[in-house]
Formats: sequence, structure tokens, C-alpha cells
Amino acid sequence: MRLDAEVPFFFGPDAGLFGMYHAPSVPARRAMLMCPPLGQDLIRCHRVYRQLAQSLAEEGMAVLRFDYYGTGDSAGESAEVDWDRCVSDAAAAAVELRRRAGVDRVVAFGARLGGSVALTAAGRARFSEVIAWDPVLEGGRYVAELDAMQAALREDAGRFNRARSHSDVAGQWLGFDIGDTLRDQLAALLVTPASVPTLVLDSMPASPTARWERIVSQRGKVATITPPTPWDDLERLETAILSHPLIQAVAGRLKEVA
Amino acid sequence: MREEAHRFGRARHLVGIAGLPEGERGETGVIVLNAGLVHRIGPFRLHVELTRQLNAAGYPTLRFDLSTVGDSTASGGQQTRTQQVCADLDDAMKLLGERAGCERFVLFGLCSGAQNAHVVAATDPRVSGAIFLDGYAFRTLGYKLRYYLPRLVDPGRWVRRLVRRAGGAPAASKVAPQPVFAVAPAPREEVIADFTGMVGRGMKLYLVYSGGISNYFNHARQFRECFGKVMNHPAVTTRYAAETDHTYILTGDRARMLDGVGGWLSRNFPPASAGRHP
Repeated sequence: MRLDAEVPFFFGPDAGLFGMYHAPSVPARRAMLMCPPLGQDLIRCHRVYRQLAQSLAEEGMAVLRFDYYGTGDSAGESAEVDWDRCVSDAAAAAVELRRRAGVDRVVAFGARLGGSVALTAAGRARFSEVIAWDPVLEGGRYVAELDAMQAALREDAGRFNRARSHSDVAGQWLGFDIGDTLRDQLAALLVTPASVPTLVLDSMPASPTARWERIVSQRGKVATITPPTPWDDLERLETAILSHPLIQAVAGRLKEVA
Repeated sequence: MREEAHRFGRARHLVGIAGLPEGERGETGVIVLNAGLVHRIGPFRLHVELTRQLNAAGYPTLRFDLSTVGDSTASGGQQTRTQQVCADLDDAMKLLGERAGCERFVLFGLCSGAQNAHVVAATDPRVSGAIFLDGYAFRTLGYKLRYYLPRLVDPGRWVRRLVRRAGGAPAASKVAPQPVFAVAPAPREEVIADFTGMVGRGMKLYLVYSGGISNYFNHARQFRECFGKVMNHPAVTTRYAAETDHTYILTGDRARMLDGVGGWLSRNFPPASAGRHP
């Protein structure tokens, strides 16, 4: 592997955003911006994001992974994560990627809320295409799922010797402080279709295919990847999400439209 | 404070974030090792919160990924894992020394991170302190008594057992989740000798064990049961947090642990001495 081809750096407002640039093995004609999910999904997906970035860089794409403000290695506290800021950070990251790679055509990829960010930022960041892996389309349902998991965590006998108090678990989702602003923003989130070609990669357990129709009806399609991804399994909360089929599906799609 | 992203190491194979306090360069730097396979930000961003809190208190820090973990790759040499860890920490200490002027170091590790920190702390004279979270431990007689006695005198447990024997309701079957974090065992005498050697050369140790390892550790007394009289040495501080889990998923638990670490550091490596040697 070309070690110096992976460059860690800070960029964006006040140099507060962390990025990892994967330089392509040959001069790039296209680039990919990898929008991370939020919360524990970001940590669980770190390895598969890196594997995908390396795979695409070897195929000649310039790739940028980054962390939003308040997440990962970027500046800010977890309680300060803000949906609108995530979308503007994605747009800032797209600018940075174009500058580094010297190309204009940027495809966006994102898992779960990262897919939602990519879809929402598509116009502003001038993405040429969005590939969204199990994106969250309706925030209200997602918030309810996270609340239910947090409530179950309080009594998780596999984790705690005795159930914790309600106040111990309040104001958090699965290890992270959650500000009221983000909660309200996600509860109201209804992702609209992007104005660019969209590929939804579906690995949700028992997913009704109708789930994605609203997003792909105009300029998109859905591809199923197996096995299902255990996003919401409390017992596997700290287990990495790995998926070779995901990497194959993304690489295959990018070859199709090269 | 400011943070710098680095690719560094003997083969430029390591990735880490150096946190540098404002003002004076620091003598004591804190290096944070990976917990299991979680990349350098730590479980639930624990390592980011820790390093920024320490930067604000005047300590330079480095959170980084060991070889083959997170964003770091293999160094390419033919080394055992232990040799790799020692060489990676050598690279890390050199980097923080260059960036912040540190001449001595405190290592912080949770679970396998504690195990790796232990290996380096036992052999590297530049390490003057170590914070081990859920590091080495052994089931002792005391552990077994505390575990089994309450169960022996619990009538409900006997009733459930008799009902099952009589063909009644089966025991609730619960598949144990696969362990994500684990400390590999080491001979107890070896671990005791290491601790003894560490305090003998002037190191300060802080052992913080959680209720998340109750399958082999279940009381504050067990530090002494496991490791003997070296735990009474004034250079050793221990803390048992029975209510918390292994990775501090609740932000209140995490804040209390971080406050404990900050307090221990300020007592043993006062920020005043974080000022560079004249």
C-alpha cells in the first residue's frame, strides 16, 4: 500500500474538521466524498469506510473521508452536533476534495445518517451522484428507535451489574450526549429525493422495498446487498460493521457509470 | 490548545492526533492507546474527551492508532505483536517529544490498551506513569466467595433450579454476546513482578477497574488479592467502579472517570511540572 497516499489533515472553518485524503493511484477523473454516519454508527463503520476508500483509490478515484463538527477527531463536543452544520460540513468537504484532487465530478457515499446527509447536501455540494447505504429517510421513526434502544440499555444486564436510573441515561443516545437541537432536527427530518442519480444500497433486515420508493422514483434505483446489517442490535453495539458485498456493490456501480 | 494530525513512525505507518496546550511546552505527555480495535477516538469518543480535557489542564497528548489498527498500517518488519507495540510507542514518544518537548510520558489504556501499555511501561524508562483501565486481573478465592456465596443462600435461585430439575420451565436461554474487548491472560507472578519493578523505578500507577469485568473482578479488595502488597505502595492508586460498564457508555460515568484521571495526574504530575526543564 502507498502509505503517503493517505494523508490525515484538518480543514474547514477554523481548521476544525478532520479529513483523511486517499490520493488515487493514477491521475483522478472522479472523486468520492464519504459522509460518515453519526453516533456509534460512525465508530462501527470506520473500518469499512477505510476499506472502501482504499479500494476506490486503487481503482483511480480520489477519496476523502472526514468527520463532522462534534464527531470523530473534528473539533467540538458530541452535544454540539447539529444537523445543518453536518450538511454544511459535507459541502465544505466537497470543496476541499475538489481542490486536492483537481477534479470537479464528486460522487457522495454515506451509510445511515451519512446517506441522509449526502442526499440533503447533494444540490449545495454539487454531487454528481449519491450512493446511500440504508439511509435514514424519516427522522421521527429513527429517533423513536434510538430512544427505545437507550431505554433498553438502561436495563442491559450484559453491560451493567444492576439497572441504571432514568437520570443516568437521559439526554444520550448509545454513548453520546445529544443536544435538544439535534433531537428536534432529526425528529423533523424528512429526506427529499436528490436532483442527481441516486443508488440506494439496501441491507436493512426485513426491509419493505417500498421504503425507498420516495427517494428513487425519479432518478434512482435500489440494489439489495446481503447479509442484512445489524444496525440496531444492542448486543452488537460495539462490533464493527464490515461488508465485503457493500464494497463490491459501490465499486461495481462506479465502474458502470465511469 | 490546538490539535495536529500526523502520519508518523519508523515506516510512516502510524496515524495520530497530537494535542498541544497553549503556552509552555510540557515535560509530561500523555499517550493514549487503542481500546480493542476501536480507532483512536476511543469507545464513544472517550479518547477525544480525555485528551482535550488534559490539554486544557496543560498536558500535551497523543491519541494514535497502533500498527494495523484504525488508520495505521503494518510497519512491514518481521516483528512479534509485542515488539510492534513497543516500537509503535517508541515512535509515539518521539513524535510527542518533538512536538511538545516532553521527556517523560504517562500511558493510558483500556482493556487491550491497558495490556499494551503494561508491556511498554514495564520496559521503557521514559514511561513515568500509567493508567490502566480494566487491565490484568485474576479470579481469586475472594472473587469466588463473593460470587458464589450469595447465590448459595438465595432461595429463589434454589427454587428455580428445583423446578427445572422437575421438568418445569427451562432456564431462560440467553446467547452471550461475542466479546469485543478482551485482555489476554498473563502469569500472575509475572504481572506482580512488572508492577513491583514499575514502582521500584519511581513510576506512578492508577488502576481503574469497572463493573463491566464482573466475570473475573468484583470488589475493590481484589486489587490486593490479585497483586499482593505492591498495591499498598504509595505510588499505586486503585479505584473500583462497580456501577459502570467496561467502555463507559454513560456520559456521567465517563465524566467521573475522566475527572478521576485528571485529579490523579495533577497530584502525581502537577501541571506546574508540565513546564519544560530549564
